[in-house]
Amino acid sequence: MNQPWFSFSLPDFSYAFLSVLLEGVPFILLGTLMSGLIDQFLPARVMTRFLPRSPFAGVCVSALLGLVFPMCECGIVPVIRRLIAKGLSVSNAVAYMLAAPIVNPITALSTYAAFRGQGAAEFTVLRLGLGFFIAALAGIAVYNLSIGSVLKKEILESVALGSANAGGGGGAPLSRRLVAAMDAGVRDFLDVMLYFIVGAAAASVFGTAVDQSLLLPLALHDWLAVPSMMALAGILALCSSSDAFVAATFVTFPAVAKLAFLVFGPMMDLKLVFIYAAVFRRRFVFGLAVGLFVLIGLICVRLSVIAL
Amino acid sequence: MSAKTSRFSASAILLVWGIILVYFQLSGRIDSYLHPDFHIPTFIAGIVLLAISGTLLFTFQTTGQSQANDCGSRHPFGGGILAIALLLVPLLCAVWISQGRFSASTVMNRGIVTDSAELPTFSSPVDPDLPGESGAPVDGSMMDPSLYLKKNAEGYIIAETVDLLYGASEEGMRADFENKDVEVKGQFISMRTGNPNGDRFQLMRLFVMCCAADARPVAITVQAKPGTQFPEMTWVKVLGKATFPVEGGRHIAVIEASAISETEPPAESFNY
Repeated sequence: MNQPWFSFSLPDFSYAFLSVLLEGVPFILLGTLMSGLIDQFLPARVMTRFLPRSPFAGVCVSALLGLVFPMCECGIVPVIRRLIAKGLSVSNAVAYMLAAPIVNPITALSTYAAFRGQGAAEFTVLRLGLGFFIAALAGIAVYNLSIGSVLKKEILESVALGSANAGGGGGAPLSRRLVAAMDAGVRDFLDVMLYFIVGAAAASVFGTAVDQSLLLPLALHDWLAVPSMMALAGILALCSSSDAFVAATFVTFPAVAKLAFLVFGPMMDLKLVFIYAAVFRRRFVFGLAVGLFVLIGLICVRLSVIAL
Repeated sequence: MSAKTSRFSASAILLVWGIILVYFQLSGRIDSYLHPDFHIPTFIAGIVLLAISGTLLFTFQTTGQSQANDCGSRHPFGGGILAIALLLVPLLCAVWISQGRFSASTVMNRGIVTDSAELPTFSSPVDPDLPGESGAPVDGSMMDPSLYLKKNAEGYIIAETVDLLYGASEEGMRADFENKDVEVKGQFISMRTGNPNGDRFQLMRLFVMCCAADARPVAITVQAKPGTQFPEMTWVKVLGKATFPVEGGRHIAVIEASAISETEPPAESFNY
């Protein structure tokens, strides 16, 4: 019996879409509430005082911040948006944003658990290591770009405003600062939710309407398996805390393709393309997506050559 | 949009989201959407959204002056009408349209898993060594299956499709079920291939890691009287003997059915 490659069902789409929203909202809300508190209570430039002055070291330390401040890929965008407004350099912010969903204890534990019996320790180390490396590399690349080519106009203005208002809430009473933090958090929540809804919808269309068995023949070729698994990660838009359990089940795909899936997915997927667009210029988001795809793909294909 | 209007609209948006999140939890509808680990965070998020929604209204006077002093640098809540519509319409439509289950079309698009190797690694229920009568550990001692296998009133072991799927590849687990009477509930899927006599169908459940969006259909084979038919995705209860014949070079789970009847969906629509 031949199955069409695309068969859309509105109830099925609604079901998948709603489940992604219900799952994602708590994490986005947590991120945006944190962003509101950062807005009001974190003095501007304080991050720059704690991070190394050297751009390279700063990016590397930022890419490790997820070990201390773990965030998932949905919740991190509002946080880095506020941190940028508070003076964190864009290169450090990008390194933190890309690495934190992977280089954090929760993801490490879930990856280890998911790959029990499949070289769990090695796989976990490889995932976190490659995630860190790619994020640091992206941060360094961003360091060489002008801030105007990376950030959206409104975010640039907030950076200028953050520099002007160095004290956050200043000497206002605590109650007023808490209300202002809530206001800032709500603004971020509504902004990010706009993009999240569009991204979740796109991912749900692919998750329900497209025949995913079309990807299976690609598993037989290393050089096709890696990009196809990255494409699948982009389409499925899974949460980084649980994607390892899904990746581990792709038994026909080589290990490097699963690694590519687990490194690319938390950094760039359909919903993230839209969420990133809340902070970054669309051109930059496109460039980042292509750059990550090519870089992770090449590294993983290379790893397959050395028989991982 | 004035500051007052945008604040009220933001409050309304959060109110709607909060109500929906809380409603899903309190009505139990969330069971069909999320893994249990995510129920409490979603419920808390709903409560927080409701609290923020109310606080936005009550703090309008407090923030009115600070917003006036904000030089217009901060955009209003929620953007314009289009943004408000985007934040509410898809959500409300999805709540209205979603039936809390997938159709056969999506199940086929996802691909049905019939081999436990395509599922997360399974830890077989082997207990730590139990002390023997002498107090010394007994090597290889296993927990008595009757302690963890539930039975129905007729003495049939109540099993899940995923239990039998794992049983096909895990020898220890296979021993718990092989040639024993079992009761399994699942959704009817007709066999697309490998059914020359027309006496087989698949019994499917959704296996979930986080939410329905990542659900994977897992299925075992049921051998029944030729021509046994139900509409696709109908919930059926199968009573029969669990067997694990070798087909295609590996053990597969097959229930030799003695009785099949349509049934209500179980309280837990997913396997975890």
